Amino acid sequence: MKIRTVKFILKDGVKNIYRNKLMSLASISIIVASLTTFGIFYLMIINFNHNVMGLREQPEMQVFCNPELDDVGVKLVENALVQNSNIKQVTIVTKEQAFEKVKHLLGDNVDVLEGMDNSFLPVSFIIKLNEPETSQELLVHLQDINGVDKVTYPQKTVEFISRFTRGIQVISTLLTAILLIVSVFIITNTIKLTVFARRKEISIMKYIGATNWFIRWPFIIEGVIIGIIGSIVGFLISGYGYNELEVRFTKELLLSGTSIITMLKLNEVGLLIFLLYLVLGCTVGAFGSMISIRKYLKV
Amino acid sequence: MVEFIDVTKKYPNGTLALSKVNIKINKGDFVFIVGQSGSGKTTFIKLLLKEEDPTEGSIFVNGYEISSMKRKDIPYLRRSLGVVFQDFRLLPDKSVYDNVAFAMRITEALPKEIRRQVPMALGLVGLSRKADALPGQLSGGEQQRIALARAIVNNPSLLIADEPTGNLDPDTSWDIMKLLIEINHRGTTVIIATHEKSIVDSLKKRVIAIDKGIIVRDQQKGTYENEDKNCKIYT
Repeated sequence: MKIRTVKFILKDGVKNIYRNKLMSLASISIIVASLTTFGIFYLMIINFNHNVMGLREQPEMQVFCNPELDDVGVKLVENALVQNSNIKQVTIVTKEQAFEKVKHLLGDNVDVLEGMDNSFLPVSFIIKLNEPETSQELLVHLQDINGVDKVTYPQKTVEFISRFTRGIQVISTLLTAILLIVSVFIITNTIKLTVFARRKEISIMKYIGATNWFIRWPFIIEGVIIGIIGSIVGFLISGYGYNELEVRFTKELLLSGTSIITMLKLNEVGLLIFLLYLVLGCTVGAFGSMISIRKYLKV
Repeated sequence: MVEFIDVTKKYPNGTLALSKVNIKINKGDFVFIVGQSGSGKTTFIKLLLKEEDPTEGSIFVNGYEISSMKRKDIPYLRRSLGVVFQDFRLLPDKSVYDNVAFAMRITEALPKEIRRQVPMALGLVGLSRKADALPGQLSGGEQQRIALARAIVNNPSLLIADEPTGNLDPDTSWDIMKLLIEINHRGTTVIIATHEKSIVDSLKKRVIAIDKGIIVRDQQKGTYENEDKNCKIYT
């Protein structure tokens, strides 16, 4: 195909979109809806995976004392920990350190701590284990020590989240597949309407000797452009939504003092999501066009 | 130029549209195909355009045996023909100029050539001044002239017209016929399927009459109905 033909076909494709404004809008909306739904699932999966990975790199226990426990009590707990043969290393996190950490995590929202001192925070110990296999017994043992409020052990969370993620992955893969098939189906039908309105035009082109590809290309271009617009709009919607959610979620988590689970920032996932949307949007658009036009080319 | 050898066309529903048809049309001929509705005229045109394939026999157009032609080669056959239909078949959203130019664009012609040929074709049909109009803004006669311009813009050696004046009033019909004769004088073979008795009778061109799928008459300088007892009559 020659450059001038490509130019002519491109121009025709763009014109078609404008001419069939309403249908184009319908197709774009469907692509946006499908991609956004797909995006929600996909972002859920990568966030779960991200957390599972993060937790795996951190095979430690954290032992929290009662916040009211005095210095002597804290010392007793520390001694009990140090003497345990299963524990390799013990690091103390004092009330001051904990307070600083909370302040640091709060960042701009530090004012919520105004008028408070560090007394509401517990002293805690971060411990590293000699043999992670015995962690379950150790966990029970540590919880029995006098003055210990709770023991957190990410491994349990890791296992839980791993199982949960696998479940989510299966469900969301299925849902995404169904969704994409439904989108192709709906888009095919939408484009079919525009093709149907132009079936006479297509047959005229065939009568005067246009090849199938010459007729097909403007429709494919139309589908791809609809796909690109759909993926940009879809990305703006889901990107904005995700960013809002992430900011709020992170704030809530910080206020509750946990930092085990984190959400990926938009700038870490944005490009990947955008590219995925673009590829899916264009494929669905082009594929939809090709299916719709097939029937009318047999003249 | 065009040759039908023992061509039979039977539609899947059992209708026998053409039966053992033998026709030879030479380069530069001007031929009317006449017959009542349902006689097989339209099937004859459809076979020429390879919109339908014959059940039996062979068809030669411009030197190609088209009954065994592959689907992907059909566009190239159609580009070598000019076609005009009763309902004009113009692209409604393209201007007059673009409608004519489209026939050249599909052949990937050079822009320079398009700029030269299209005004020439529009000039021949007398519509140079309407180049920017849309087909819907023109009268039936004007639309048919644009269809003619489109049919000849690629300089085809064969022009096929299926009831070209079927939707037009008598005066306009004559304008179109004059154009077809003019095109024929420039060396293009012209085949016209028509009902127009007055036009066929006054032009005295070759007439091929089809009735119930059979060629019943092939007459040089013929008329719409059989008046000359000496003509070649098939039974």
